[in-house]
Amino acid sequence: MFPKKSPKVVIDYTKCGEKGQIDPRNCTKCLKVCDPAIFILHESPNMPIDPVDPKYWRITPVWLSLCNMCMKCVKVCPLGAITVSR
Amino acid sequence: MCDWCMKHGAGGKWYMNAKNYSNELAEAINAREYLQEQWKAFEMVYIRRIMGITSIDLGYKLQLPIIGRLLRWSAERMIHSEGKHRNPVRADGHFGQVIPLEEAKIILGNLAAEPIIENYCMCRWMQRGIKEACCINFGLLSGVIEKLPRFIPKDTKYRLDRDEAIAHIEEHNKKGYVATVWFQPVPYINAICSCENPECGGLRLRNDFGLHTVYKGEYVAEVDPDRCQACGMCVTKCQFGVLRLVQSLKRVIVDINKCFGCGVCRHACKYDAIRLVPRENYPALRGVY
Ligand code: SF4
Ligand code: SF4
Ligand code: SF4
Ligand code: SF4
Ligand code: SF4
Repeated sequence: MFPKKSPKVVIDYTKCGEKGQIDPRNCTKCLKVCDPAIFILHESPNMPIDPVDPKYWRITPVWLSLCNMCMKCVKVCPLGAITVSR
Repeated sequence: MCDWCMKHGAGGKWYMNAKNYSNELAEAINAREYLQEQWKAFEMVYIRRIMGITSIDLGYKLQLPIIGRLLRWSAERMIHSEGKHRNPVRADGHFGQVIPLEEAKIILGNLAAEPIIENYCMCRWMQRGIKEACCINFGLLSGVIEKLPRFIPKDTKYRLDRDEAIAHIEEHNKKGYVATVWFQPVPYINAICSCENPECGGLRLRNDFGLHTVYKGEYVAEVDPDRCQACGMCVTKCQFGVLRLVQSLKRVIVDINKCFGCGVCRHACKYDAIRLVPRENYPALRGVY
């Protein structure tokens, strides 16, 4: 009756994000390695937003139902910030 | 002609009606305010809660019984909204249609309101972290985007005259990017994009989730079996998996139900074997956009 659950893709924002070691804009490896392009890079909603030139960014895995669990993002991430699970 | 041509085409196609490009229309519908709101944090469009729901894992949510149908219904209503109280941060009334290069050139040469700019593509930035200047915007929208440095190309000329805009759209189209024209918000037209699938957010919602953010074009591709040399080059260009090289026939076949009529496959054919014909020529495709 209920549809199939999507894979869980989680990014650890203490590693990559507004308070992490890396500004995702300077990496973007996961965005590029994912064939179905399930990630979105965006201004961080938890920080004061400068509408003209936002300074704080993070990545959210958005199109989860399209993730095929190929694990390429997990392997490519230099910080080990991404986990993919059922 | 689609339902939007009936409403805003003045007897023709909606995107060929000069009125839809005018500054007067933009003023009348308060487009500047809408566009400023929409663009200042555009990257948040899938992250925000809209009526309590974000786009995160939309594929799952759309399949839920009852809620899924309600969600689809309200999303379609938002996309095609002409209401007075449209919400810019959820992009109400922002949708487009695929057009062939010839029509994009007519629009940029004659209909688009100046100034014309070419800025970084929002979708490639959000979904791939790539900054590529290939979005051509015009009219009131140019002034709005010019105030947002992250979308303005550095070191290159981003204000274009009509001839430059035509040359650029031709270059993008020949590379294989699909030309699309956009209401923002309906019926005001202010953008011609050069999109890729699945990087384009509009094509993503259309192809992966069946939402009508982008209509298919007024045309479909037709291959002349006598001219086709079965070289397969066109197959590499199509972004929608419409063309297939059938070795036993020694020609390419077209899945017209999937064809968006963008015409980029034509640029790859050295034998002039592909042309675009009106969608209406096929009874099965009439009114199907
Ligand atoms: S596992 Fe593969 S498909 Fe899923 S998010 Fe990572 S790269 Fe993309
Ligand atoms: S690959 Fe890792 S570090 Fe790089 S942007 Fe993605 S999550 Fe951040
Ligand atoms: S609609 Fe197309 S060109 Fe415009 S921002 Fe999106 S992908 Fe880029
Ligand atoms: S087959 Fe249709 S969708 Fe594919 S490139 Fe040609 S015109 Fe575009
Ligand atoms: S590019 Fe032209 S000749 Fe080659 S397979 Fe396609 S239609 Fe046939």
